[in-house]
Amino acid sequence: MEEQRNSMSKSREQAEGESSPSSSSSSSHPCPICLSPTPQLQESYLDRCFHKFCYKCIVQWTKVVASRHSEAPSSLFCPFCKTENFSIIHGYDGSSFERHYVSQIFSDSVFFTEAHRYRLQCYYTEPGILSDAFDIKRFWKSRKYLQSNPWLYSWLKREIQALMQEEDVDVVVHHMLGTIESSLRRDDQKLKAPELKAPEERQREFKMLLHDAARPFLTGRTDRFVDEAELFLASGLNLEAYDNVYRQRFDQKNPRIDSLEEPTNDGAVILQSLFVFDEDQDGAE
Amino acid sequence: MQTSRARLFKEYKEVQREKGADPDIQLVCDDSNIFKWTALIKGPSETPFEGGVFQLAFAIPEQYPLQPPQVRFLTKIFHPNVHFKTGEICLDILKNAWSPAWTLQSVCRAIIALMAHPEPDSPLNCDSGNLLRSGDVRGYQSMARMYTRLAAMPKKG
Repeated sequence: MEEQRNSMSKSREQAEGESSPSSSSSSSHPCPICLSPTPQLQESYLDRCFHKFCYKCIVQWTKVVASRHSEAPSSLFCPFCKTENFSIIHGYDGSSFERHYVSQIFSDSVFFTEAHRYRLQCYYTEPGILSDAFDIKRFWKSRKYLQSNPWLYSWLKREIQALMQEEDVDVVVHHMLGTIESSLRRDDQKLKAPELKAPEERQREFKMLLHDAARPFLTGRTDRFVDEAELFLASGLNLEAYDNVYRQRFDQKNPRIDSLEEPTNDGAVILQSLFVFDEDQDGAE
Repeated sequence: MQTSRARLFKEYKEVQREKGADPDIQLVCDDSNIFKWTALIKGPSETPFEGGVFQLAFAIPEQYPLQPPQVRFLTKIFHPNVHFKTGEICLDILKNAWSPAWTLQSVCRAIIALMAHPEPDSPLNCDSGNLLRSGDVRGYQSMARMYTRLAAMPKKG
């Protein structure tokens, strides 16, 4: 086994012309994902091929692979040699170690609940599912935003956790919360000024500010996030009531979207195609 | 984004250190943007691309290396898996078979391998793919060689 591994890595080095002198001893091989030397506490190995990665790097990659499937996969192909692996060995201290099964990377993380998963799925569907449920125009026109929404913090936290797939997002949440609130409070002060801004102008400004604040963290999903945030604010509902409306709409379009017990292979894709047909009906409602 | 920057910097240092180790590939990072790279690759020998030098453009996403770089040919090339107008490349490792263990350097090697071993069954350039699929290897080679001469070789004075 040991010999086989050595010959494999040798042939790879020859084939790719990699002859870096520093990586001759196996212990100094950098992590193939970040290319940096792995800190000892982070060292982790795949259970079949024994290739070494930083724990952080390989878990991140596992999540990326998992996000492509609607169900969490039970195995992971080594990024380096493509061997199928089932768990990550981590935290070896000479006598004991931790073992994380690939199938549990998602499910055993305490923070990533079913609600997070449903929110993340929302971002894989076409927008507009709730556009006729809440009156966004009226929200701006009648200055409903002046009432602060006490559930905004919890909504933001869950949303950002779902999107970033990270538990500790407090700094980001406070940053967004501050942006939203200062933007709305600024409007509050302007209320006393003789000239009021048009609701459209105010809406545009709000969206732009939030977009700029969110972009570094949410990148490609920023536009949708800003729309979702506006929608939640316009709803004036608490988390539970909001989810109820949202899920109801989801179930109308696709009865299986949030029942994870049932295997839905391409839930999001089916949903998108159904949208096209349901569009007219919605408008008539 | 910090991770991608750190990793690209590692690759940059490796490229500087290994300069000339692979005479077929010359990778250059944009002066002001580490997410933009270009590469010059030599057409593999015993192919219609032999003697040509092809320029590639890399655009690297902020999620790199969890997501693959976007690569396209800047030099015109007649090859079944390269779009003739846009230079887009159809290669599994740049799409769903991507692994974060690939580097920009190894992606270049994969592209050189693709030049030598076209896959006419998933063509982006249908004319080129059809020639190969209908068994007209000579026709494919002469077209590919002509474009190599026209676009990938220095003009003779």
